[in-house]
Amino acid sequence: MRIVLVRRKKPLKYGGLVVALLSLLSGIFVFTIFAWLIGVNPYPVVETIVTTFIFPGVVKDFIILTLLGYALLIAFKGALWNIGAEGQMHMAFLVSIYITLIVFFTTEKSLPLYISIGVILLSIVAAVAAGALWGGLAGVIKAYAGVDEVPVTLILNYIAYFIGDILVYGPFRGKYVYGYARTDLIPDPYKLSIPVQRQLSGNALIDTVTGYMAEFATYAVWLVALILVLIFTYWLLNKSNIGLRIKILGSNPDYLVSLGYDVRKTMVLTFMLSGAIAGLTAALYYHGSLYRIEYPLEYNTASYGYLAILVAWLSMLDVYLVPLSAYIVSAVILGSQRVSSLPSVREAFTRLQLGGAEMAFKLLMFGSILLAYSILRFIQDYELKVVS
Amino acid sequence: MIPQLDYIIDKILPAFVTFYLVSLGHSIFEKSGILNLAIDGVFFTGTGAALLGAILPIIYNIPISPPVMGVLVATLIAAILGLFMSSVLTFLPISHGAVGLSLQFFSYGVGIMLGYYVRLAYGTIYGVSFAREDVLYLSIISLVIGVVLHLFIERTKIGAAIRAVGENPHSAAALGVRVMAIRIVAGMLGFALIGFGGALFILSWQRSWDVKLFTLGYGWLAFATALAAGRHPIVLIPVSLLFGGLVNSQTDIQSRLGIPADVAKLIPFLAALALMLIYSTTRLRRIFASPSSLGKPYYKEEKSI
Amino acid sequence: MSSPLLSVANITKTFPGGVIALDEVSMDFHPGEFTVILGENGAGKSTLVKIMYGIYTPDKGSIILKGREVEIKSSLDAIKKGIVMVSQIPQLIDRLTVVENISLSLTRIGMFETMTRVRRFFKEVGEKIGIKVNPDAKVWSLTYTQKQLIEITRAILLDAMVLILDEALTYLPMEERRKFYVYLNEFKEKGRSVILITHKIPEALEIADKIYVLRRGKLVGALDKASANIDKIRDLMFGEAAKTITYERFTKPYETPVGDIVLNIRNLVVEGDYGEIAVNNVSLGVRAGEIIGIAGVVGNGQRELLEAIVGLRRVREGRVVIDNHDVTNKGVKLTRESGVGFIPDQPLRYAVSADNNIVENVAALFSRKNFVVNWKSMRELSEKLINEYGIYPPRPEMHVKLLSGGNIMKTVVSRELEYASKALVAYNPTRGLDEATSTFVRRKMKEKAVNSKLAVLFASEDLDEVLQLSDSLYVMNRGVLYGPFDPVSTPRSKIEELMVV
Repeated sequence: MRIVLVRRKKPLKYGGLVVALLSLLSGIFVFTIFAWLIGVNPYPVVETIVTTFIFPGVVKDFIILTLLGYALLIAFKGALWNIGAEGQMHMAFLVSIYITLIVFFTTEKSLPLYISIGVILLSIVAAVAAGALWGGLAGVIKAYAGVDEVPVTLILNYIAYFIGDILVYGPFRGKYVYGYARTDLIPDPYKLSIPVQRQLSGNALIDTVTGYMAEFATYAVWLVALILVLIFTYWLLNKSNIGLRIKILGSNPDYLVSLGYDVRKTMVLTFMLSGAIAGLTAALYYHGSLYRIEYPLEYNTASYGYLAILVAWLSMLDVYLVPLSAYIVSAVILGSQRVSSLPSVREAFTRLQLGGAEMAFKLLMFGSILLAYSILRFIQDYELKVVS
Repeated sequence: MIPQLDYIIDKILPAFVTFYLVSLGHSIFEKSGILNLAIDGVFFTGTGAALLGAILPIIYNIPISPPVMGVLVATLIAAILGLFMSSVLTFLPISHGAVGLSLQFFSYGVGIMLGYYVRLAYGTIYGVSFAREDVLYLSIISLVIGVVLHLFIERTKIGAAIRAVGENPHSAAALGVRVMAIRIVAGMLGFALIGFGGALFILSWQRSWDVKLFTLGYGWLAFATALAAGRHPIVLIPVSLLFGGLVNSQTDIQSRLGIPADVAKLIPFLAALALMLIYSTTRLRRIFASPSSLGKPYYKEEKSI
Repeated sequence: MSSPLLSVANITKTFPGGVIALDEVSMDFHPGEFTVILGENGAGKSTLVKIMYGIYTPDKGSIILKGREVEIKSSLDAIKKGIVMVSQIPQLIDRLTVVENISLSLTRIGMFETMTRVRRFFKEVGEKIGIKVNPDAKVWSLTYTQKQLIEITRAILLDAMVLILDEALTYLPMEERRKFYVYLNEFKEKGRSVILITHKIPEALEIADKIYVLRRGKLVGALDKASANIDKIRDLMFGEAAKTITYERFTKPYETPVGDIVLNIRNLVVEGDYGEIAVNNVSLGVRAGEIIGIAGVVGNGQRELLEAIVGLRRVREGRVVIDNHDVTNKGVKLTRESGVGFIPDQPLRYAVSADNNIVENVAALFSRKNFVVNWKSMRELSEKLINEYGIYPPRPEMHVKLLSGGNIMKTVVSRELEYASKALVAYNPTRGLDEATSTFVRRKMKEKAVNSKLAVLFASEDLDEVLQLSDSLYVMNRGVLYGPFDPVSTPRSKIEELMVV
């Protein structure tokens, strides 16, 4: 009697969906077990996570992760594991900061529309370029030196952090921040979020709905960008020659070579496209929410760049499913963070310093789902048989 | 004479031992053909586990020296991770990179929970760390492990089996090798050494622990060095010395060359990147080639034309 | 007649995609006998022996060894039970030494032991067989024949009861094969059983005491030496399709006119994967409408030569000129855009993208210059190829990985033949295909060469294929090209002689 792994005769129908669902459940399960191990009652944990799905705070993360999800989707289609979205975003931040805080700095509360828009556009374009270049650097190293892109993009992330640290401590240091190691706030005219007021009615349902509406209104500009990126990605992958090349690169690079395409250029181009979208996301995030970056740099992006990996995978690399996947990931991760501020969790830690616990919970949730997904993937094409 | 000796004992050796053990363990692990992208996570979990192990003798009155217990616990937990990763990736034809990366993030979380819990409950760990002079013994032990491992891999049958599985698990199986068993042996041994290195990082080098340690990225430096050195236990000795020195002398480099602290932090990473580039673009790539099947999903019944 | 040493009963095995590889197959293997399992590619013979060697698990059926039913869980298990297999492609690990490879199979060598004893064992057996190989040599430095000899040494050291040769000798010239038969006879005399797998009838008739014929997974015939003859076997192997299969030439050499030299290779020197010289000063000219074949045992530089011509491998010295344009080391793109089609060795690995569908695979080649792909015309082209070559199932949106091996091959060949406008370079263009499809592909190659005035250069490990298709042939041995030879008038033995080391 033993268990044998056999290839399925036909791939499991809706296999991707099954795997995604199972991974989510497994991940949440593992997370809950861990919480229980440190003495936290599982019921409030699960409740918190589930209720986060209708929590307006999810909207912001959702939009960012969708954008980044597309950035990574393009790279992943080409089997290029762009783990460097963090670094690409950071380089984009630095460029945007340079433009808004150094070149075009102002203390005015408002400027003529054409100047505001001009600066914002310039900043966005520069951010896209910065992201594309930093991504392209990884692409060049992979394509021309043949080094595995995962350690390369990771090391480039660290290098980007350190460069940022140097600049924030040095020339980018804020003039109006006393003693803190961070940049100034972005000047008001360059902010991209729309300040929205809303009143709480006291009714939970109405408040949730108005909460969502308020969030969407605040980040309206981001939404526009999201739609544009969605259309672009769809067109790129399904209609263009470049998209076909990327797909073949991901499926069988040897074939791409024998066809006579320059595989290296394709790799670099793919990385640049991926980094470009990451840079765009960074610009939007900075202009619309972050407003400034502080030292040390790693915490500014809340690891969006890494979370996007999960978004891309859970979407099964399907252009239409990225937003759904992003929503789910945002909800679950935000949920894990809310868990860390539950009273029962605070009790489990006798002292008040909770920064570390929050991070741990987020990592455990993220890591478990990712791990579950990468293992359960086999169900799509293989099955277990008992042989006697 | 004395101040230089102090310098070596305090600065160079602890860093060397950590880097050497981590890259050694990683090398053994990957020799069996499994890509190890979880290296930084396992390293970090090792630090947390070491912390846990170090206070156990005090809480439960066990007659084992605390730092030694720390090492044992870290090695054990790391070996379990190694068992998990190597067996799952050999039984199922799934992406090594995906599992490794996921495990890395997951291990970060586990490491924080282990260390944080202990740190909060117990306080400073200086008292349960290795004494300053112990690093001499630890260095000798590491070097001996390295030499023994080298002979083990190059001269014995089981070493040949590990290399065979790394080159082509299908052929190895056809030749009669128990692929799963070999992968588990290499996996557990490899991660155990990484855990050992992580434990020494905390208990011999830093003698303190902080949540933010998981952002250091030292595991990736070890990854790069192992790659460039061809996963060769002897070549890794000078390379680990170099990186240990680079990382640990950041403050010295900073004050001597008058550059800001963060630039000094950049140097080891730039060096790692440079090392990988040099390796890939020169003859080194052929001499120190990676195992041919590194990272390839393994499916026993793969049908070919 | 003594009872069988090994039997298989009612073995059934299905692969993903619904392909029934084996259907209730039962065979007996007697001690002291050469049993040959004959069948064309895809008939299931390889699958059957892989089940006997623990690589595959059968869906149904049983294996009986020395009268007792057994389960073979892995290759190690098979070896322990006395079953040893040697494949067509040596299973040895290139980066390890000879003795290291052998030690892996010997259970009497301990895990922590060094290679000293193994070296001794190897030398003892080696002397008996007459191998002159350095036991500490790395396997990648050996020739194909040497590697196969080492495999046989391994089998002897393992004291195999049943020795399986899975097309292990099929691609060796007759001379070399005879050397092996001598040792195999020793096996026979000791009362062991030898099972030979092949798809070549002459090879089977050389030594078989008993022949089993498989067709499409079913056992269709069992003959013994006395009653076996070529015609009977052909009928059993191919059934209806026997009519379309032929190894007869389509035309006489140079019966149709040829034009100027299109593909000109001058003094080519090319390095192999380990830095050694794989192609040693090769010069060759192929004219429009001409088919040149290169015969040779695997590993003598054919692959490296063709890769260098297409631009996939660096040329160290010499020139490659296509249609008067020097394309040496200028990359695959230029060569392809000059109108060169390429069928590489192992097309499943290098010539298709399995996760994409047929249209996408076609578009990748034909739509190279466009920024936006003209999906409509690509679809039409795909449909045309599907009809012309009988690709099944006839759906252009079909993902390539769901097609059977033969149909994937058809996709590659049809695409490349359609694309080639000046020249076609191919390596083992019909390997792994069943005979009917192979004949079809060769016929198509000849048609294309004649009608489109294509310069065709192909290399094949199958000498019969080279003899059938070429107008003129060469032999490649250790990187050196010998020839040209007339395929009809040159005696076969002379060509085989040149193929031997």
